[in-house]
Amino acid sequence: MKHAEELLDGKVGGFMSIVNELTATLDKMVNDQFESPEFKHLLSVPLTLERGRFYVVQSALYTSNRRDCWGYVQGSAPLEVKRVIWQHESDELVNDPRANMDHYTLTVKQGEVVGLKPEDFEKAELPPMVRACFYAWHHIAIRNHWLTAYASSHMLERRNNGKIVKGGGMSYRMGKKFENELGINLKKMISLDVHVVADMDHSENISEIFHRYVKTPEDRDLVLKGAEECMAIDRAYRGALGYYMERIE
Amino acid sequence: MGSPENGSKKMWDELVRMVNEQFDTPQFRRLLSISFSRERAQQYSIQMAYYVKNRRDCWGYVQGAAPLDVKRLIWNHEQDELIGNKSEGKDDHITLAVKEGAVLGLGAEAFDTTPVLDGGMTCFYSWLHIAQRPWLEAIASSAILEMRNSSELIQEGSLSKRIGEIVARDLGIPLKKQINNAEHVVMDVEHARMLYQVAQKHATTEAARKAILRGAKESLMIDRVYRGHLAEMLETLP
Repeated sequence: MKHAEELLDGKVGGFMSIVNELTATLDKMVNDQFESPEFKHLLSVPLTLERGRFYVVQSALYTSNRRDCWGYVQGSAPLEVKRVIWQHESDELVNDPRANMDHYTLTVKQGEVVGLKPEDFEKAELPPMVRACFYAWHHIAIRNHWLTAYASSHMLERRNNGKIVKGGGMSYRMGKKFENELGINLKKMISLDVHVVADMDHSENISEIFHRYVKTPEDRDLVLKGAEECMAIDRAYRGALGYYMERIE
Repeated sequence: MGSPENGSKKMWDELVRMVNEQFDTPQFRRLLSISFSRERAQQYSIQMAYYVKNRRDCWGYVQGAAPLDVKRLIWNHEQDELIGNKSEGKDDHITLAVKEGAVLGLGAEAFDTTPVLDGGMTCFYSWLHIAQRPWLEAIASSAILEMRNSSELIQEGSLSKRIGEIVARDLGIPLKKQINNAEHVVMDVEHARMLYQVAQKHATTEAARKAILRGAKESLMIDRVYRGHLAEMLETLP
């Protein structure tokens, strides 16, 4: 009887099964990301102080691009999802209580540890390969069904969630790299440190939306499209960072 | 050639002139000359809830394209609209629209089951189109609608105030009981100032000021078309 009720509820073989399979697939995708040549390369480039500075400045520009994309996703999403994104953007754009500042300011503040000044961030330019990745993320966020756009922005936080990614998310691994290769304690890399925790919360809150809105194979495919395309751009982006960092003496 | 300050002041005066002129257009005059029966007020209220949702879509896109400091202003603006202010006991604006509907005898389900007006959908897509243009045009296209609803800027009262007065006159429902209209009469005064704040910092060139005027002008054109469609709909109702 219970089984029959679950079937009617869609919990067995229905949409819950679709969502559970989907989230398992997304988890595999974010873990696989760290096995890609681009991620392996970036994480193997030896850090110097100059390379570390480059990475920190690029992280601030990446954070700005995230704010663009989440804004676009907010534009196309249903009202209830807009509210979730608005809350999410509270930490990012206005004030994260974990750090008592917004995430862009946090990245600029983190720069002090590697000798960067606020004007280094203001005059920073996007290298061509990075610019191409940012425009590609914009494209997904603006020109797709909201589930695709939403999944694309979500995946970058899921890829940073240490509860999902075995061995730790990207912020954690980069933070450890700064610690091991430049002797800067992860706690002093305040932006990377906050993101180790923040993206666990963010990716979990944001992931709940799939349970509410993914009901059919078509919905699932929209999410997968966003996830796959975003992860491809993410690999290109990390590959680009590795390429540019390697060229810094 | 004038200074950037003079250019900003001139642009602002032009925007204020444009929003005031909106009320002298045939579409606005037609809408504001209609008597409101209960059924007309109900349908107007439902269609305005769709309008409010479209505003949220457009502001999201504007936020996406704007610089970081402007994103923060928009995020704050969207708090009132999307979330409300719990410490002040204020609902978000969609909830307000549904609660105002109850005063007019509407159940919450009416907002879900009544389809959006054809002309409304068309205008909403047009506004979405402008919202995805370069950010100065985009922000002007959204902000100008709040300037048009600011009693501080509109000489004989904003659109929400004028509609509120018609409902009070024709249906005997005082403005303070029309909680959505009443809220917009107050909030859009504050929201209307945002464009001025943004323009002072970012509209420092003639090209930037032209972009703002272009976005505002096209948005007001769509606004006239939309109000014309609303008038058309209301006139077909008893």
